[in-house]
Amino acid sequence: MNLINSAKLSILNLSVNKVRTLLTTSGIIIGIASVIVVMSAGEGIKSLILGQLDTFGTDIIETEIKVPNTAKNKTQSQQESGIAMVQGVQVTTLKLKDMEDINKLPNIKGSYSGILGQEATSYQGKLKKVFLYGVTASYDEIDRGEIAEGRFFSESEDKGLAQVVVLGSELKQDLFGESDVLGKEIKIKKKNFQVVGVMKKRGSIAFFNFDDLAYVPVRTLQKKILGVEHLVHIISQFENKYQAEYTAEQIRRLVRENHDITDPDKDDFVVTTMAEAMEVLATVTGAITLLLLALVGVSLIVGGVGIMNVMYVAVTERTREIGLRKTVGANYADVMRQFVIESVLLTIIGGIIGILLGIFISFLLYRFAITHGMPSWRFIITLKSIIIALGFSAFFGIFFGVMPARRAARLDPIQALRT
Amino acid sequence: MLISVSNLKKIYVSDEVVTKVLHGLTLNIESGEFVSIMGPSGSGKSTLMHILGFLDKPSSGKYYFEGQDVTKLEDEQLALLRNGKVGFVFQTFNLLPRTSVFDNVKLPLLYSKMPDEEKDERVKKVINAVDMSHRENYFSNQLSGGEQQRVAIARALVNNPAIIFADEPTGNLDSVSGVQIMKILQKLNDQGKTIILVTHEIYTSEHAKRIIKIKDGRIVGDEPVMNRRIATDGEILK
Ligand SMILES: Nc1ncnc2c1ncn2[C@@H]1O[C@H](COP(=O)(O)OP(=O)(O)OP(=O)(O)O)[C@@H](O)[C@H]1O
Ligand SMILES: [Mg+2]
Repeated sequence: MNLINSAKLSILNLSVNKVRTLLTTSGIIIGIASVIVVMSAGEGIKSLILGQLDTFGTDIIETEIKVPNTAKNKTQSQQESGIAMVQGVQVTTLKLKDMEDINKLPNIKGSYSGILGQEATSYQGKLKKVFLYGVTASYDEIDRGEIAEGRFFSESEDKGLAQVVVLGSELKQDLFGESDVLGKEIKIKKKNFQVVGVMKKRGSIAFFNFDDLAYVPVRTLQKKILGVEHLVHIISQFENKYQAEYTAEQIRRLVRENHDITDPDKDDFVVTTMAEAMEVLATVTGAITLLLLALVGVSLIVGGVGIMNVMYVAVTERTREIGLRKTVGANYADVMRQFVIESVLLTIIGGIIGILLGIFISFLLYRFAITHGMPSWRFIITLKSIIIALGFSAFFGIFFGVMPARRAARLDPIQALRT
Repeated sequence: MLISVSNLKKIYVSDEVVTKVLHGLTLNIESGEFVSIMGPSGSGKSTLMHILGFLDKPSSGKYYFEGQDVTKLEDEQLALLRNGKVGFVFQTFNLLPRTSVFDNVKLPLLYSKMPDEEKDERVKKVINAVDMSHRENYFSNQLSGGEQQRVAIARALVNNPAIIFADEPTGNLDSVSGVQIMKILQKLNDQGKTIILVTHEIYTSEHAKRIIKIKDGRIVGDEPVMNRRIATDGEILK
């Protein structure tokens, strides 16, 4: 029997035994689809994390306050600044002068600095506790945030302690709804602030909602609202990324000198480049990928065992058929060829359906992610995942389709016929 | 000589239980004969038929088919013999379910060297020969027992074999259908086909021209039929 006839016969067989065909392919479909979904989700999570990094920009160095190491906590992690803020431990040494000095460094294009506060804010009786982000006017140039209407405040307004405010898109919506805001006055800590601009919608980044912020000049916030002189962080943009680490070291020396620190162990600040942050995230995504791979492994095993069982049962059921075929003249090779072709066909059909299903589910996942606060989730189907999925199903489908058939095809025809 | 068997033995060994089924049979069958193999249940009729039809192998003894020593053949060559030289009709029909009459009859041709364009014509011809043309596209499981057995005969005929082996072909049928089957077999023999019919009923066996009686794996009688029965419509097959 030639190959074309064998293929025709196999198609006939598969269509005749629809339930069996369906059962066998479902194992392959589930296995393949789960591989594709899991690997696509992995890419999605990666893109989510990288996308979040990208919204900050990758050409920046951050200088952030940190509780200095003492003899007691010396062994603890270096990255305690965030915790220090939350716990209310005040580090008040980071000043605008530090930013001005950093700006003089050769590889620095510019910087902005900021401090956070939270105050009762109202407009026409609507009261809301609002996060205030005091920043220098240079925020507008360096940060990726964009103005939707009006303008950002200027350097002279900052220096003149002007009471002006730029609203995040959600905050604007909360206080004003659809009505005009530019030029209106809102009250922050009972002081009048004029709205000069509204920011574009940006979404949450690392659980920090930019759209809910009120941006005010940093000096105004320091002097008129909080009554402090320090900053929380300074964000600096560099020119040449190959010198980023060197520049970061220059910043460390400079700030140390400004803060009269001789022992780097006693630093009350920490300088990080995005490259370092990227490295940390690469480790995190690496761990996530590893976890996902483990999941893929499990789904492969489950799918594989499923395929194996169905194939095995199918062949056992078909031993009589094999006996009959041998009785009317099929030889070992004929029977094997039929099973190989059937398995290959099943694998191809199951493979195609599985890939389509996997892509479809991955797409649903993507839709869900972007509509649920993860806008930078990307819909990625890698060739690698398709190759792994197909390789797997080809292996299991054909191996487990052919192995039990071998046993049956070796029987004497009458033995097979009698089962 | 079509079939020549001498001192043929068959022993089954399974789980240390040794079953001696055939104890050294010797017999010859010429081309064109219609032979009944007759005997009680368990006497070894089917076993003998399977060996003669290349479905099973003897434990010892000689078997020459058309002068060729069958015991020396490889599986591959046995498959060729099964495909081209013999056709089988079983008590339980053994048709593929959910498969059309046409495709069931065509099954042996899938493994034959017949040119593709001749196959379909040949299938239609043998289906017509057993009066089943009106059911050609029915699934085998949509047919009555008698109809299924006629399809099985068509399948046995499709490769134009030298011998038809029929193992209790009327065993699962009512008498009217049984007579039809015997009629077809007699007609085929009249056209020159060698028929070997296995049965445990004397009445059925008397439709053949020669009866070989078997008991406990031994030949206990081998005689021509004196008053041969001719299957006719209205006859009651007892
Ligand atoms: N695979 C086997 N293993 C062991 N014993 C077997 C095997 N096949 C058949 N036998 C035995 O061989 C003997 C003959 O079996 P066979 O089927 O040839 O009888 P039979 O004459 O066709 O009987 P029946 O009229 O009931 O069909 C029986 O006793 C049976 O148990
Ligand atoms: Mg029998």
